[in-house]
Amino acid sequence: MKNNYKTKGRSLLFYIFCFSFSSLFTNALTTTHDWHRTGWEYICDQQPEVHGTITDLSGMPLAGVHVVVQATKQGVVSNINGSYTTKANPNDTLIFSALGFITQTIAINNASEINVRLQEDVTQLDAVTLNAGYYTVKDKERTGSIAKISAKTIEKQPVNNPLSAMQGHLTGVNIVQQTGVPGGGYSIEIRGKNFINGSTNPLYIIDGVPYGGQSLGAVEVSGQINGGNINPLNAMDPTSIESIEVLKDADATAIYGSRAANGVVLVTTKKGKAGKTQVKVNLSSTLGRVSHFLDLMNTEQYLETRREGVTNDGFGAFLDMPAFDFIWPDIKTWDSNRNINWQKELIGGTAYRNHGQLSISGGNEQTQFLISGGHQKETTVFPGDSKYKKTAIHSSLNHQSLDKRFKINLSTNYTVEHNKLPRTDFTSMAYRLEPNAPELYDEAGNLNWENNTWDNPLSSLKEDYQANINTLMANAGVSYKFLPNLQFKTNLGYNNYGLESYRTLPSSARNPSFGFTPENYSSITTNSSKRTSWIVEPQLHWESKFGDATLNILVGTTFQQQSTTQLVQKATGFPNNSLIQNLSAATTHEVRQDSDSEYNYHALFGRIHVNWKDKYFLNVTGRRDGSSRFGSGKQFGNFGAVGVAWVFSEEDFLNDSNILSFGKLRGSYGTTGSDNIGDYRFLDTYSVTGSDYNGTTILEPTGIFNPLFGWESNKKLEVALELGFLKDRIRLNTAWYKNQSSNQLIGMPLAATTGFSELTTNLKATVENRGFEIELNTVNIQGNHFTWRTAFNITVPKNELMAFPGLETSTFANRFIIGEPLTVLRLYHALGVNPETGIYEFEDYNGDGNISSVEDRQWLEDFAPEFYGGFGNTFSYKNISLDVFFQFKKQKAYNYFSFQAIPGYRRNAPVELLDRWQEEGDNHPIQKASAGLSGGLDTGQLQASSSAAVADASFIRLRNVSLNYHVPKHLSHGMDINLYLQGQNLLTITGYNGPDPEQPSYLILPPLRQITLGLQLVF
Amino acid sequence: MKLNKNYNYIKVFGLKACWKTTLFLRNILCFFVIIGMTACTDFVEVDAPKNTLISETIFEDAATVESALANIYYQMREQGMVSGNNGLSVLIAAYSDELDYFGFDGSNQELYSHTVTSANTVVLGWWRAAYKLIYAANDILKGLEGTTTLSLEHQEQFKGQALFVRAYLHSLLAAIYGDIPFISTTNYLENNTVARMAVNEVYENIITDLISSVSLMSDDDVTGEHVLPNQSVSKALLARMYLYTEQWALAESVASELINRHSLELDINKVFLKNSSETLWQFKTNGTTHYNTYEANQLVIRFIPGQSYALTNNLLQAFETGDLRYSKWTASKTSSDGLTTLQYANKYKAIFSETTSLEYSIIFRLTEQYLIRAEAKAHLGDVAGAQQDLNAIRNRAGLANTMATTTESLLDAILKERQVELFTEQGHRWIDLKRMHKASDVLSAIKPAWKDSNVLLPIPATELEVNPNLKPQNSGY
Repeated sequence: MKNNYKTKGRSLLFYIFCFSFSSLFTNALTTTHDWHRTGWEYICDQQPEVHGTITDLSGMPLAGVHVVVQATKQGVVSNINGSYTTKANPNDTLIFSALGFITQTIAINNASEINVRLQEDVTQLDAVTLNAGYYTVKDKERTGSIAKISAKTIEKQPVNNPLSAMQGHLTGVNIVQQTGVPGGGYSIEIRGKNFINGSTNPLYIIDGVPYGGQSLGAVEVSGQINGGNINPLNAMDPTSIESIEVLKDADATAIYGSRAANGVVLVTTKKGKAGKTQVKVNLSSTLGRVSHFLDLMNTEQYLETRREGVTNDGFGAFLDMPAFDFIWPDIKTWDSNRNINWQKELIGGTAYRNHGQLSISGGNEQTQFLISGGHQKETTVFPGDSKYKKTAIHSSLNHQSLDKRFKINLSTNYTVEHNKLPRTDFTSMAYRLEPNAPELYDEAGNLNWENNTWDNPLSSLKEDYQANINTLMANAGVSYKFLPNLQFKTNLGYNNYGLESYRTLPSSARNPSFGFTPENYSSITTNSSKRTSWIVEPQLHWESKFGDATLNILVGTTFQQQSTTQLVQKATGFPNNSLIQNLSAATTHEVRQDSDSEYNYHALFGRIHVNWKDKYFLNVTGRRDGSSRFGSGKQFGNFGAVGVAWVFSEEDFLNDSNILSFGKLRGSYGTTGSDNIGDYRFLDTYSVTGSDYNGTTILEPTGIFNPLFGWESNKKLEVALELGFLKDRIRLNTAWYKNQSSNQLIGMPLAATTGFSELTTNLKATVENRGFEIELNTVNIQGNHFTWRTAFNITVPKNELMAFPGLETSTFANRFIIGEPLTVLRLYHALGVNPETGIYEFEDYNGDGNISSVEDRQWLEDFAPEFYGGFGNTFSYKNISLDVFFQFKKQKAYNYFSFQAIPGYRRNAPVELLDRWQEEGDNHPIQKASAGLSGGLDTGQLQASSSAAVADASFIRLRNVSLNYHVPKHLSHGMDINLYLQGQNLLTITGYNGPDPEQPSYLILPPLRQITLGLQLVF
Repeated sequence: MKLNKNYNYIKVFGLKACWKTTLFLRNILCFFVIIGMTACTDFVEVDAPKNTLISETIFEDAATVESALANIYYQMREQGMVSGNNGLSVLIAAYSDELDYFGFDGSNQELYSHTVTSANTVVLGWWRAAYKLIYAANDILKGLEGTTTLSLEHQEQFKGQALFVRAYLHSLLAAIYGDIPFISTTNYLENNTVARMAVNEVYENIITDLISSVSLMSDDDVTGEHVLPNQSVSKALLARMYLYTEQWALAESVASELINRHSLELDINKVFLKNSSETLWQFKTNGTTHYNTYEANQLVIRFIPGQSYALTNNLLQAFETGDLRYSKWTASKTSSDGLTTLQYANKYKAIFSETTSLEYSIIFRLTEQYLIRAEAKAHLGDVAGAQQDLNAIRNRAGLANTMATTTESLLDAILKERQVELFTEQGHRWIDLKRMHKASDVLSAIKPAWKDSNVLLPIPATELEVNPNLKPQNSGY
């Protein structure tokens, strides 16, 4: 009976499958169909059950995997624990498939439990979706140039700013860390310098909301350290970022119109996923140290050059006269046996960073959430108790209605940063302090002033600088599908950035001999600044199919308002220094600045996208922008772009190719713009400066105004070829771009006789950036246990000033040269040391017998990189994965001559300066020592800005090594435990002997070498 | 009916064309277009921020014009040639034979050692600061022309002050740089490519400005502390300009007007106090910095080592025995080891700010007018008159009457008297040496790098780059 039914059932399988769909419609209509149902149910009951768990290679359960019985085509989907149960014939085969994973086919072979580990398919193009701002696009189908870095890459790097994690990974994006001091800035250049005014800041958009990048720091308060250069992405915890996309070409950026000339950086934060509630804990500790110290003179060498210098200057006889000791205390008064390594004392400490993050996420099909909080504390390599603290809370909530027509998402980031730093960066002091300089503290523990013979560097520790920064970024997106192909969407965003900082100047930080008292000297300057902005962007998305073509249309409008207020106050004169933080205790109060500014911005934008047969793509975008930064009649500008792509591998003649698995040719052309000039420049105004004369508030002419300036324009052209070979295991992307920027908005230098130093105006100069970008990604080995992938990228940029009508007669005549990069430097041509006189010599280009600034600076150099890129390998074997990433750059930079070119001055110098001329006939690269007392032509200054001061500063840097161990399940009681060891900036191969080739300054702390040990728990 | 209603709705927005196809889609599209068209222009217009005033409104109210003038005096005190902070009083004194410099600032060292290059930051700073304020003065003059709401009296006072400022700054520029652009407009296109004007012509323009300034201003001291320029101040500069241009009779007559109107401070201890009777114009001190006058802060030696400036032997030897100015206006400091003693200028004594300042920075004082008149009279052959004016100053300093009896010897005596009376004040000594053609004699002896071309400082290199019409550079640079 049973068998009979079974056989009958089998023979009916085909019939059932084919007609089950139609049976749904008809089953209630006829009684003759009843047997179908009962028969099917019976069959199912009779087939054996197969169950199991599906995980990824690391053992994480995978939900949503399709499990299909090959013969019956019946399928189930794995649940949030990764488990599935299905019924299938023991001889049948199961097919496991999921987006982003390699499909596996497993024969049942009478098993009742089949556990599967799915391997991620790194080569699957379809799986990669890119965020293009107002819309998303599949990597395969994109017409524009969009570079992406995902959480995976960011998380492997122990950094506190996501920009740092991007260094070297993206083509066409040149990022330089400005300082090793925590909370400092980065410079970012996307496809070169476009503008003569020097601004390269891209547009930052965090979860759809533009984020103003300018710091509100007041120089008076923050002083030298971290100046005004604070990066907005400091407010993000890198671990809360899902991905960062960089939009580079016209096709990708034109929809951002006027603000996109320097590219767009889109940051997307992490969101919750449906499934079991997941708790993730991440703890890490980082040690950071200065990676390279300079080789400086010791006391013996230093004093030798000093005495020689004084003698050469003709004052040798005075060295033996005690009455003149006060002129050179380092030679005569200080302990000549003392030999201090000031680099070790002042920047030789270890910076500790502790980071902890807890995140909870989960939800169901309709609603998902994620809440995470992180805290980090970082100290510096400086003496004292300087530290940087950051606490960030991130939350995300998504909801959709049952019919999926209504969607809402909400994400907020709130960050509190607290920065306590010394007022000055000790780095330059560490390089230049005399090696026998006195003790920092006297026996009583007070700052030692050694009878007024030096300026104690640690006095700046007493001059407290503290900043509290609060950043709130809130974003909501609401969408509703009125019709199946029409969606209304709106983006609402609100940002709030608040900076409270102060700096104190207590009299106790100064040499007591100056006679400063708290009453006559001590002061505090506070800066309280705030920027709020909101944005509303309603949009309509419409999609429809016409035969082989799919048409997408997007229209939208933007209203954005940003207002900034700044209040800087100064209070002077306190009864004693312990009251210095209390403004009401001061005898005089000044409001140094009380200002506000408003920036309004409005736009209409749209996009038409056509996809024909998944082979041909057309993308047209446009934007009409209005900005309050321009005067009446100049506020609006139009921008737009066209992008096309041809996936030629889809063509019939290539369809069967075994080698070429993907091929796409794409190109784009369009215009973007820039209004990056600051607010209100078109108004003729007088400003309140906060000062007064005889009780009358002063009003100062703000500047020469020009009501007629308008948008800068930037035309971008790109052609790119994307290829995939051997089932996309080899991906090669090459792009060529040419961007031209014109109608340059600049502060044109004016002669002082006009009363001002510059005038904001448009200049008909054209700057071109062109270059090649190559990306090669390969999966070298992909086995069940071992995979090895390689990624390589290189950018070869070129910057050129193409045209500049009237350059010769303009105020820029001596700065720029047509046909040369904007970054060109004019230097003296160093001819070495004259063996007779022992003095540096330079080429006298104009032959007038003098070496003078304009005509004799004809030697050209350029410090912009010739090429740069990255090279990374990822190995994973079972539970262990290892990443090794190198960054490289070919460039030039100033060498030690820019820091010190003549030995014998009262400041320490690199040992290179010992190789000096000493007597007639000597042939040495360094001129004779001088103490700077002889007057005359300062050849040291000329040498510092000569061809001799330029050195190759190319480098290959082991930017990141990350070793990750996933603790096997049987050891971790079901938890997911990852242990990781990461290193940043571990090794640098360079011929450059300055502080750091990446940031070759002798004044600023270079980026640190950091090692991190961390633990991640998921349960 | 229903259709009509919809039709009307769209017609309201004047977009009939929208009505044809998908009603809903079109409605929404129209909505966006309308929002865009109506809102955008208004939305991107913003008001001026609260810390600025639109220039036109400045000249509708006397108080805001006073604020614009206050800016000029404030900035003159803080920086540039007039300022006690690295201005002529200090650095030109080091350039001539008044001060020795011990500091480490490269630009200051260049000035002291006569190795100035056209890249010198002081040379650039003075040039910029002066022309910046000349612009401010010209902008006030321009604004006053268009005003309809200010009273005539106010207009005249303000115009007189602005003309004085323009004249004063040009006079200093001419003394330091020689031929200079004379700027009398705010038109930046013109000023950006302006050429230099011969120094005599500059003086003519200055005198024209001053004559009209004198005629416009009242002689009231509205502040009661002589902290704003008035008619007497304009006259004092006018007398100086007549002297520099060797118009002796005019110099004598203008100086006489001032001498008749004001009285010399007879107590030598009070000459540099803020209520000195001979002060014509002084800068009120900045109540919000740590320091009182910049002059005291820069010149008084607090400890050795650590000193910046000390008086030169040249100057110290010029004091006659018993000169009260030596004992009252200079002082000495000895180093901690007792090996070094230096003499410093001590006209201003208070370094730090006090609750109530007793000293302000004096810019014009009556003594100079006595010396101007003495010199003018000597040139005019009025030996007795010249002696009388000179003796007035000598007697106050506790010295006997002058022994000079001829024009020639009187002129030497006046130069020497100016040296010991006006030392470290607004670069008088340097300008005197130049105009009396004594710079080479005096300075070649003490400045090893002296060249005759050093009588002028260079035009800043960056300015020659920006405006090649300023070429040629002064010789020697």
